[in-house]
Amino acid sequence: MFPDPCQQWTRRAFLGRGAFGVGAMGLASLLQENLAGKALAAPSLRGGGGVLHYAPKAKRIIFLFMSGGPSQLDLFDPKPKLNEWNGQPMPASLVKNERVAQLQGQPLLCMGSRYAFARHGQAGVEISELLPWTAKMADDITVIRSMQTEAINHDPAVTFMQTGNAQPGRPVMGSWLSYGLGSHNRDLPSFVVLVSGIGKGQNLHTRYWGSGFLPTVHQGVQFRSSGDPVLFVSNPPGMSSEVRRRILDGVRDVNQQKLDVVGDPEIATRIEQYEMAWRMQTSVPDLMDNSKESASVYDLYGEEAKTPGTFAANCLLARKLAERDVRFIQLYHRDWDHHDKLPDAIGSECRHVDRAGYALVQDLKQRGLLDDTIVVWSGEFGRTPMSQSSTSYDTYGRDHHMKAFSSWVAGGGFKAGGLVGATDELGFSVVHDRVHVHDFHATILHLMGIDHTQLIYRSQGRDFRLTDVHGQRLPILLA
Amino acid sequence: MEAVYHTKLVEWLTLTTRIVLPLRRAARAAGILARLSVVVAGVGDVVAAGLEPRRAVDFDREIRPILSDHCFACHGPDEGARKAGLRLDTRDGVLATADGVTAVVPGRSEASALMHRVLADDEDEVMPPPQSGNSLTTRQIEKLRQWIDEGAEWRGHWAFETPVRPALPTVGDVDWVRNPLDVWVRERLEREQRVPQAEADARTLIRRLSLDLCGVPPSPDEVEAFLADQNDRAYGALVDRLLASPQYGERMAQMWLDLARFADSDGYHDDTPRSMWRFRDYVIHAFNANKPFDDFTVEQIAGDLLPNATVEQRMASAFHRNGPTSSEGGADAQEYAAKYAVDRVNTTASTWLGVTMQCAECHDHKYDPFTTREYYQLFAFFNQVPENVLERTLHVAPVMAAPTPEQEAAVAVLTRQVEEFEQAMTSSAPERSAEAELKTQLAAAKQARDELVRSIPQLRVMADGPEVQPTHILVRGDYRTLGEQVSPGVPASLGKLPAGLPPNRLALARWLTDPRHPLTARVMVNRLWQMIFGVGLVKTAEEFGSQGERPSHSELLDWLAVEFVESGWNVKHVLKLIVTSATYRQSSKISPEWLERDPENRLLARGARFRLPAETVRDNALTIAGLIDRARPVGGPSVKPYQPGDLWREFAYGDSADKAYVRDTGADLYRRSVYTFWKRSILYPSYAVFDAPNREVCTARRPVTNTPLQAYVLLNDESFVEAARVLAQNVMAGHPGDFAKQLDRAFLLALARPPSAAEATAMESLHHDVLAVYSDRPEEAAQLLAVGDFPLPEGADAVRLAAWTCVANAILNFDETITKE
Repeated sequence: MFPDPCQQWTRRAFLGRGAFGVGAMGLASLLQENLAGKALAAPSLRGGGGVLHYAPKAKRIIFLFMSGGPSQLDLFDPKPKLNEWNGQPMPASLVKNERVAQLQGQPLLCMGSRYAFARHGQAGVEISELLPWTAKMADDITVIRSMQTEAINHDPAVTFMQTGNAQPGRPVMGSWLSYGLGSHNRDLPSFVVLVSGIGKGQNLHTRYWGSGFLPTVHQGVQFRSSGDPVLFVSNPPGMSSEVRRRILDGVRDVNQQKLDVVGDPEIATRIEQYEMAWRMQTSVPDLMDNSKESASVYDLYGEEAKTPGTFAANCLLARKLAERDVRFIQLYHRDWDHHDKLPDAIGSECRHVDRAGYALVQDLKQRGLLDDTIVVWSGEFGRTPMSQSSTSYDTYGRDHHMKAFSSWVAGGGFKAGGLVGATDELGFSVVHDRVHVHDFHATILHLMGIDHTQLIYRSQGRDFRLTDVHGQRLPILLA
Repeated sequence: MEAVYHTKLVEWLTLTTRIVLPLRRAARAAGILARLSVVVAGVGDVVAAGLEPRRAVDFDREIRPILSDHCFACHGPDEGARKAGLRLDTRDGVLATADGVTAVVPGRSEASALMHRVLADDEDEVMPPPQSGNSLTTRQIEKLRQWIDEGAEWRGHWAFETPVRPALPTVGDVDWVRNPLDVWVRERLEREQRVPQAEADARTLIRRLSLDLCGVPPSPDEVEAFLADQNDRAYGALVDRLLASPQYGERMAQMWLDLARFADSDGYHDDTPRSMWRFRDYVIHAFNANKPFDDFTVEQIAGDLLPNATVEQRMASAFHRNGPTSSEGGADAQEYAAKYAVDRVNTTASTWLGVTMQCAECHDHKYDPFTTREYYQLFAFFNQVPENVLERTLHVAPVMAAPTPEQEAAVAVLTRQVEEFEQAMTSSAPERSAEAELKTQLAAAKQARDELVRSIPQLRVMADGPEVQPTHILVRGDYRTLGEQVSPGVPASLGKLPAGLPPNRLALARWLTDPRHPLTARVMVNRLWQMIFGVGLVKTAEEFGSQGERPSHSELLDWLAVEFVESGWNVKHVLKLIVTSATYRQSSKISPEWLERDPENRLLARGARFRLPAETVRDNALTIAGLIDRARPVGGPSVKPYQPGDLWREFAYGDSADKAYVRDTGADLYRRSVYTFWKRSILYPSYAVFDAPNREVCTARRPVTNTPLQAYVLLNDESFVEAARVLAQNVMAGHPGDFAKQLDRAFLLALARPPSAAEATAMESLHHDVLAVYSDRPEEAAQLLAVGDFPLPEGADAVRLAAWTCVANAILNFDETITKE
């Protein structure tokens, strides 16, 4: 293997170097093994008496983000009363002074669901006919009906779900974990993002996997389904791997000479990063190549998984990334924003995600990875019990709703098979076991072995946390 | 020794005079000269004064940080969070007696409740509470005891007191000193028993200066000319030339636009395009013209409110229309109007005050004397804009026509023509045929004028509505919960608005630029220091409050701040002081011992060495390759250089062709990076990889990371592959058939120096090996050479050019190439 020029420098020297005192990141960065985790975690996890505050239940997270806000009332939270009152005004006592988005200034009418629900699994959790595959794994997942957020428009709500704050500028959960725990991967970044539903629905911002005020080494790296899987990873046309290696050797020779003269450890780091880049030129395309997967894999994930850029293909990639110990795997699936003609749209969305989500959980389980992998399925918010654009069961839509929505979680120390929380009989508000986004974050961090009040970064003279000054871990969600 | 020192200072004085005198404020300049003589006269006294006696506890440096970190959260400025009515952030609070208990009795630690509580054994008694995880160390407790026993001296936080010019200290090695900055640096080094590095060689210095001041490397001719110039003044002359170069303004704008959160798209939600480039032109021209920083400030905060505001002054006020905006359907206009005002308050605070105000949006600041009420008093300056909060259009009102000077002149000419024709029509009764002729001419002139006027770029600018809108505190930052009504004002701890002015943005700007303002000058000189040395004298450039880091050299910071104000807020003057100092001119070589002791080089015992900023990384490569567009004058609209695939469409709302990234061609591909279209939701990828911010919020400091993704950009991004190929073309054309000379030239272009023997061997061997590969597979050579639009030379030998392109690709990837040495 390549000699490690870093060894001639003490770690302390590394730690202190760089504009933020995190030149360490150069070394630690995306890339190195536990050294990074320790080096980074020590200053951040205050009072933890070590890297982690608890024995972690989970080592990694796969977050299936349903961008746009799926309708919980048509998927996970049946409300017969809404059907009974379909077209009637919502009770003023419920909706008075409550925020709506596109329904501003419009009548607020009850809207039932056109879909049938049935009980599934040992706990008899009601799940919509739209999600037959999810229903089959009712014993593996916990449905949370009492999610709550604080932003009512897409961009701020996605930002809130990712960073604990609706304003841009803060690190997302994946970045916090990369910062807090480092990477345990030599060949891949610690935080990888996969996007599906391109060309549909709400737009994306790189900030949704941005590191905010944390050093940019903690930002997510998008693995793309077309073109370069990682931007610029491929050599230019006409430059073979052999030539590339020869150039890298030349660069390394000159950099090594410079290091000998100047003594700046940043040069040692750069030498190491070029070697990492070289390794990733092999490991990333290898990973992205699904063609070597066995037929049984496609039996599980379905044919769609053969098409790059689909949610199914990304779920398969997520499993492979989990196997390779990537810490945070973020999937974005777009096009859940069903303001009108919801029945036309939601069925096809469900077909894209239902089986693949099921397959991912089963695949992880079969490979013994589910126990220490958290899987989360959630939008940025839910949808209103009130109709938008029509009260017809064929063409109705629903507006954004932040006071109650549904998500599911599986693996990694989360409770398996059951239901948490409940909403009122019209599905407007949470009536018990509220899971605020801050609580959700606190609980996830807990399972990763971190006390959310102690994962801290000082920026602009202030200590910041993923959970701001809020949040509590919720034992009710835990196995 | 003293005599030498005097000579140095007199030398420096002359240098200063040269820069200062051309200032528009002759009166001020005269003032500086008078003051400088005082400095010179004072040197003897300082030298005679000798060493200071043993130091007592320094409240501001040693005690306030303890109180701030461990006590203020519950016993500080935030009234809502205050426990037991005890307040430890003011002298009155500390000395107050309640229920017969006094926190601090000066001179008597044993009688001070504070000491009892920090020393208590009982878990319920001891402070800070153990569960806070914030306990004091024995050393901190000892410091508190010493402070109380020494009389509990209390001073305001250093950064909130007007800086005064400190007397120069004594240094042993006065020969080393080139200007007063060095006196502070050297004095500190001597205290640490440390000698500075030797001066860097001339090649390193000219490259360092060019990259620092202009953001581009020197040409080999410039390097040779500098080496050949034996005049003592060669260095100063070089600095003057660089500061006078138009590239200087572009480089400075790069820094300023992060603060101004300047971008070409709206930011929130769909991130639709906006057209703000005339503001960037303003910034570039302001730096190039060395506009005094106080004027620069006033114009950006309140240019629209200046009496008889010029086009330029009104354009400057676009500063506060740069914040992100939304046009999301279903958004609440009131909520976003509040967000925009919050962004303006926070940005103003970060940019000029160097403090983080945003905590006070929801509650009184926990560490610094800023209340929520004061936050909304600032808010009240910025929520008066009659804007269509959620409008989706390129030009959201209020907008202005922002003609370039050329357009302005051309419009004037055409307007005059129109008038002349009109006059001719009316004054004399023309003959029928002449009248027809005149009519045609008039119509043509009118049409030309109207077309020109229509082509004048529009710019979103600030304005205040006709009537003052009332402002309420938004309770806990919630735009729907209105609290007490407040009037515009500034934090009491930082002075008062100037008397006799209406309390609007103009008054706010005048307050910011009051020479006695404790922060504005310090914050700006610190920024300049950070730009040059990588780390500011105050490392937390965005936070000068009690939670920020103390300056590494407080007196130097204050000296520079006062110098800045007294020079007429002369930015070039301060930069010249910095880069002509001996401190700056040191070699950046690092000794292992000092790497351990001072890894960040806060003591400045060596020259700064750090990776170039994102834009400079690209400009550097374009310049080395000779591609950079130097033909066009500075300024102009944003451009879209190479970008892989169609990232914009992948990220866009829905899918439509108009969301595509349509890259430019020709010279636009090689425009300096400051002109690259800055899309917030998906920043130009190679800049994002090199730590440029997306500019959704004001950014005072970029991180400097070192990652494999950076390697990919330099190795494989079309811009850099093309630059390598064109560099290869150029050096091959310059010295046909002579690899050694070609390599020399390439090194001179990239590093301002020839290769060492070992480097030359490494590159020759690389060249030899890849030449063999491409000789075997010439079709690959052709493929490689097809990257990039720039034409290939006639009859190029593809195999040889491809091999050289690989060498050039290596050169553009050297750590040294992307590093300021």
